[in-house]
Amino acid sequence: MHAQDASGGGNGMGIGHGGGGRLAYLGFGLAATGVATILLVHWMVAFWVPTEAAQGVVQRIFYMHVPAAWTTFLAVAVAGLASAAYLWLEDERGDMAAVAAAEAALVFGAIVLLTGPLWGRLAWGTYWTWEPRLTLTLLLWFSYLGYFMIRGSVADPRKGRRFAAAVAIIGALSIPLNHVSVVWFRSLHPEPVVLRTEGPSLPSEMLATLMTSLAGFTLLFLGIFTVRYAMENLLRRPASGPPPGSDGAFT
Amino acid sequence: MTLAARNLVCSYGPTRALDGVDLEVAGDSILAVFGPNGAGKTTLLKALSGERKPDAGRVVADGKAVTGSDPAWRGRVGLVSHRTGLYMKLTVMENLLFFASLHAVAGPADAASAALAAVGGRELAGTRAEALSRGQRQRIALARALLHDPDILFLDEPFSGLDPSGADALATMLGARRSPERIIVLVTHDLRRGLGLADRVVLLRRGRKVLDAARAECEPEALLELFTGDARGRA
Amino acid sequence: MTSLRWIWLIARKDLRAEFRSGGRIAAMLAFSVLACFLFSFSLDRTLVSGREIASGLLWLTVLFASISGAGRTFDSEEEDGAFRHLLLSPVSRHSIFLGKAAANLVAVALVAVFTLFALTLFFAIASPGPVVLHAAILLPGTIGLAAAGTFFGLISRQSNLGDSLLPALTFPVLVPLVFFGATASSRVFLDRPWAEISGSARLLWAFAIGFVAVGSLLFRYLTEE
Repeated sequence: MHAQDASGGGNGMGIGHGGGGRLAYLGFGLAATGVATILLVHWMVAFWVPTEAAQGVVQRIFYMHVPAAWTTFLAVAVAGLASAAYLWLEDERGDMAAVAAAEAALVFGAIVLLTGPLWGRLAWGTYWTWEPRLTLTLLLWFSYLGYFMIRGSVADPRKGRRFAAAVAIIGALSIPLNHVSVVWFRSLHPEPVVLRTEGPSLPSEMLATLMTSLAGFTLLFLGIFTVRYAMENLLRRPASGPPPGSDGAFT
Repeated sequence: MTLAARNLVCSYGPTRALDGVDLEVAGDSILAVFGPNGAGKTTLLKALSGERKPDAGRVVADGKAVTGSDPAWRGRVGLVSHRTGLYMKLTVMENLLFFASLHAVAGPADAASAALAAVGGRELAGTRAEALSRGQRQRIALARALLHDPDILFLDEPFSGLDPSGADALATMLGARRSPERIIVLVTHDLRRGLGLADRVVLLRRGRKVLDAARAECEPEALLELFTGDARGRA
Repeated sequence: MTSLRWIWLIARKDLRAEFRSGGRIAAMLAFSVLACFLFSFSLDRTLVSGREIASGLLWLTVLFASISGAGRTFDSEEEDGAFRHLLLSPVSRHSIFLGKAAANLVAVALVAVFTLFALTLFFAIASPGPVVLHAAILLPGTIGLAAAGTFFGLISRQSNLGDSLLPALTFPVLVPLVFFGATASSRVFLDRPWAEISGSARLLWAFAIGFVAVGSLLFRYLTEE
C-alpha cells in the first residue's frame, strides 16, 4: 500500500494573465477621450448647431438619444456575439467580454429610456407611447436585467454563466426583430435619417454634431468595456482556487 | 476494456472538486472510490461518465478520448445513483420501456421483462414507482441501468437506503457482472460494503487521490485511518 | 428519424405522467376559468363591449397560465433525479427540448381553447368569429409560448430565485408575440377579413419557428454540467 500524491494540476481556464493593468489604462484613456468628445458635443448642441425647423429646440435631445441607442445596440450585439463564442468555444474570455458589454448595455439603455420620454413629451405631447422601437428597447433592457439576475442566482457559477449567455444571445437576436418591426409597422417614430440608401437627409452641421456624438459615445463604450473586461480578468485570477491543503480561506 | 482518467480537474466556482486525478481501470474489475463527504467522489464519477466536462484533463476508454457529448459513449454507460431516477407517475414497466426505447434496445419489452426478472421484481411490473418502497425502487433503478447491458456501470452510493438483504443482492449481482469486457466503478462512503466487493481501491480527499491500490494490499485499519482524516498532514 | 421517435417517446411519457397526476394542467385550467370570471365582473360592460376586449384578455390569460405552468415542466424529471438519467441516455439534447416542448404545447393549447370558450361564455359574445381563424392565430402563438416556457423553465428551475425569475426572463421575449397575437385575435373577434389578419399570422409563425429553432440550438448548453 502506498500513499500517492497527484501533484500539480493544470489550469485549463485559458484566462490571459498579465496585461490586465495595461488593458485597464487603455480603457481609461478611451473612456476619457469619449467623455471629452461628449462634452464637445454638448457645446456644439448648445451653441453651434442650428435649431430644427419643425420640432424646435427639443430636437437637440436627438444628439444624445440616437447615439445612446446606437451604443446600446452595439453593446448588446457584442454581448450576444461574445456569449455565443463563450458557449461554442468554451473560452472564458467570451464570458468576461459578455459581462462587460452587458453592463454597458444596461447603462446606455437607461440613457435611451430616459431621453426618449423627455423628447417624446415635448415632441408628441406624451412621455410614453407604445411605439415599437421604444417598447422593444425597454424589453431588451429587461432581458439584460434578467441576464444579471440569472448569473448571480445559480449555485454552480459555470452553469449561471451558460444560462446568462443563452439569455444574452436571445436578447441580441431580438435586435433584427426590432428593426423589422419598425419597417413593418409604421409608427410615430422618426424615420431613419442617416442610414438611408439615398444618403443622409440632415443639414451638414446637424450631421457633424450627430457624427461627433456617435464617435464620443462609441469611444466611451469601448473605454467602459475595456476597463470592465480588465477588471473581470483581475477578479477571476484566483479562479484556480485556494491551493488544496490550505483550508480554502480566501486571502 | 480499459478506462482511464488523465489529470482530471473540475472546479465549482472557486472550489476545486477534482484537482488532477489520474486513474486506470481494466476490464474484469470493480473499482471502489472512497472518500469523506466533499472529497470529490461524485464529481469524479460524473467526469468519468461524461456528465460533467472536466476543466482540464481527459477520460480515455480503450485508448480513445471520450466525452459526454458523444451519444455512442453515453450508450455504453449505465448509472445507479442514490436518487433512483424513476418517473413516479409511471409504472415500473413503463419506466423500463421508456429507457429501453431511448437506448434503442432491440425488443424493448423482452429486455425490460428480463431486467426486471434479474432483480427479482417481476411482480412489480404494473405498480407505479411512487407506490414502491425505497429498496424496491433501488432495485428497479438497477434493472434500468442494466437494460442496455452497459460496458461501464457507475454506482453512486448505491447502498444508501437499501436494507441489508437488498444490499447483499446488489453485491451478488455486481459480482456476477464481472467480465473482461466490463468495468464497474463504485463510489461510496460505506467502507465495509465497498471493500467487500472491490478489486481496486481509490481514496479521494479534497479532490486528490491519496491512495490507489489493489484490494489485496489494503489493510482496512490503515484505510480507515486515512479515511477519517487522522492522516491530515499526508493529504 | 430517430429524433422524431425520441421526441415522441419523451412527449408521450410527459403527457402520460401529466394526465395521471393531473395537477399542473388542472391548475392551469382553473386559473384560466377563474381569471375570465373575474374579468367578466370587474370590467364595466356598459363601457366596453366583450367582443372588443376579449382578445387582450384571452392572450394575457394564456400567457400567465402558460408561465405559471412552465416552471413545473421539469417537475417530473426532478422528482427523483430522472433528468440525470435522461441526459445520460443517447438521446440528443434538441430531442429532449422538442419532446418536452411538445408536451407543454398540449397543456398550453388546452388552456387556450378553454379560455376562448370561457370568455365567450362569461362575456356573452354572440358571434366570436370563425373558430378556424382563432385556431390559425392561437396555434403559432401557443407553439411560441410552449417553446419559450420550456426553455426558460429549465433555467429558472436551477436558479435559487426559482419560478419568480420566470416572468423577468420570459416576458421581454414574449411581449411581441402576445402583442401580434392579441392584435390578430381582436380582428378575428370583430369578423374582419383574413387579409387584415394574415400579416400578424405570418409574424406569429416567424416567432414560433424562431423560438423552437433557437431553443433547440441552445438547449444543450443549458443541460451541460
